[in-house]
Parts: sequence; C-alpha cells; structure tokens
Amino acid sequence: MAFVVGINVAVGLRLVGVAPKIPLQRIINFYPLHWYCTIAILVSGLALLAAYPAKALTNPVFYLKLTALIIGLGLSRYFQIKLQKEHSPTELNKLKLLGILSLFLWIVTITSGRFLAYTHNTLLASRFY
Amino acid sequence: MLELLLNFSQSTGIYWFMNSPWGWPIAESIHFLGLCLLIGTVGVFDLRMLGMANGLSYAALHKLVPCGVVGYLMNVTTGAMFLTTSPDQYLFNPAFQTKLFFMLIAGLNMLLFYFTTAAAVKNSPAIATLPGRARAIAAISLLCWCGVIVCGRLITYFRPPYHWCFWC
Repeated sequence: MAFVVGINVAVGLRLVGVAPKIPLQRIINFYPLHWYCTIAILVSGLALLAAYPAKALTNPVFYLKLTALIIGLGLSRYFQIKLQKEHSPTELNKLKLLGILSLFLWIVTITSGRFLAYTHNTLLASRFY
Repeated sequence: MLELLLNFSQSTGIYWFMNSPWGWPIAESIHFLGLCLLIGTVGVFDLRMLGMANGLSYAALHKLVPCGVVGYLMNVTTGAMFLTTSPDQYLFNPAFQTKLFFMLIAGLNMLLFYFTTAAAVKNSPAIATLPGRARAIAAISLLCWCGVIVCGRLITYFRPPYHWCFWC
C-alpha cells in the first residue's frame, strides 16, 4: 500500500508544483511498479475481506475507503495515459486540480482504512444466528 | 524507563489524547500518511537510483526529498506518542525492537549517502547508470523501509507478554 500511495504522492506533489523540474513524461515510468503493487493490495484486501466479510461489509467506513480507492486508482490510470504528452498551461491547471483531488483521495483511503479497525460493530456474521 | 516515558505522556496531555475515543486511530492515520510521504519521496528516489524511470533527472527528483523529511517527522512524532502512552507494549516487543534496528540502519545508510555519494548522484546525467556503491545504498534504504513497514505492522501481533522470538 505504501508503494501505491507513495508513487501517487510523488506524482501528485509534482502536479501541484513541488519539484517543477521533474519532467511529467518521465515520472509516470514508476506506474508499472504501482500496478504490480496494486495487484498485491487487491489480493491481500480480498483475503482480509474473505476472512471477516461481516466486519467490513456492515461498516460504512469500508465503502468510503473502497470508493476513494477506486476513484484514486482511476485517476492513476488517467495520469499514466494523460501525462505522456506535453500540455498547455490550461491543461496543466486542470491536471493540478486533479493532482490535489488525487492526494485528497489517498489521504481518505489511508485514514478510512485505519479507522476500519476502530469503527466496526460486527466481527462475525454468526452474531446474527 | 517505563515510568519516565509514561510520566512524559501524562504531563504533556499525550496520554489523555491517545486514550480519547479517536486519539489512537487519528495518530495511526498520521503515522501511515507520513510513511507514504516517505516512500513516495525517499523510496521513489531509491528506485530511481536503482535504475527505474531511466532518463528522469536525479537532481530534479531529489527536490521531493524534503517532503519525505516532513513525513519522517510526522512518523517520529506519532511514534513517540504511541511509545510514551503504552511503553510496556513497545519496549519489550520484538517487532518494535526490530523496527528500531531497521530505522537505525536506514539512518546510518542515509548519513553514508550524504557524506559520500549524494553530490555525485545529483550531478549525474539523467541517463547515467550509477556506480555500485550508490545502487547498494539505495537497495539497503529500500529494504530497511520495507522492514520498518513490516515490523510496524507486526507490533500488534507481538504484544508482551504473549509472544515468542529468538532473544525474548
């Protein structure tokens, strides 16, 4: 997870204007590693979900994390495709806003993920029967 | 030692905050965000030194590292909050001890990098492959931070007194 979020943090920081000398067309070369790590978090996430389905599925915070994660990953794919070519200042402003949105979504993903452990009210579905 | 840490936590209000309903998860979230900031800057720079994203300027990418320092300070601050609030759960915890060991190695490795290699790396052309020493430093740094993450995650499963390790 640290590598998925970390690489998005690097791209996001660049888009909002930190280290402006980093060429955008080059920083996206970290994305292949990002997608390998995404597979790892999806597999481990599904294993955790399979182990305690009721714990996650009955907790609204889980859906918040899932939504932020899916939109965040969608933005990653968008950046990977979009940043391959040069951009006009108008397009760069739009990308900057998307960079801020991406950073925000990863903060929501991490925070909601951590709060999952403290907000569930059901551990096992067997509680219901 | 335990009393000293606990007294610090209680006298500064950290203990009260951490034992409030959302204190611990808030501190944990900040801890994780700091770690992602560290991996996204220092970790990405290490990957670059290892040869990933060829053609990306070393000097330009190094400009992200100050953000990693901010992430590290977030980690140290929240880490100190965990430690001082429940010192007995950390000081005798083999996962925490191993985490500190990895942090020590990462710190020494960073000093070695800045005293011996950083200037040459930052002046290297973007397409250059770095010498073995620089790549070894990057690999050690990445391995140490991965070790820190794994051991950090294991802390909760090795809480005293119910644990086993080689030196316990």
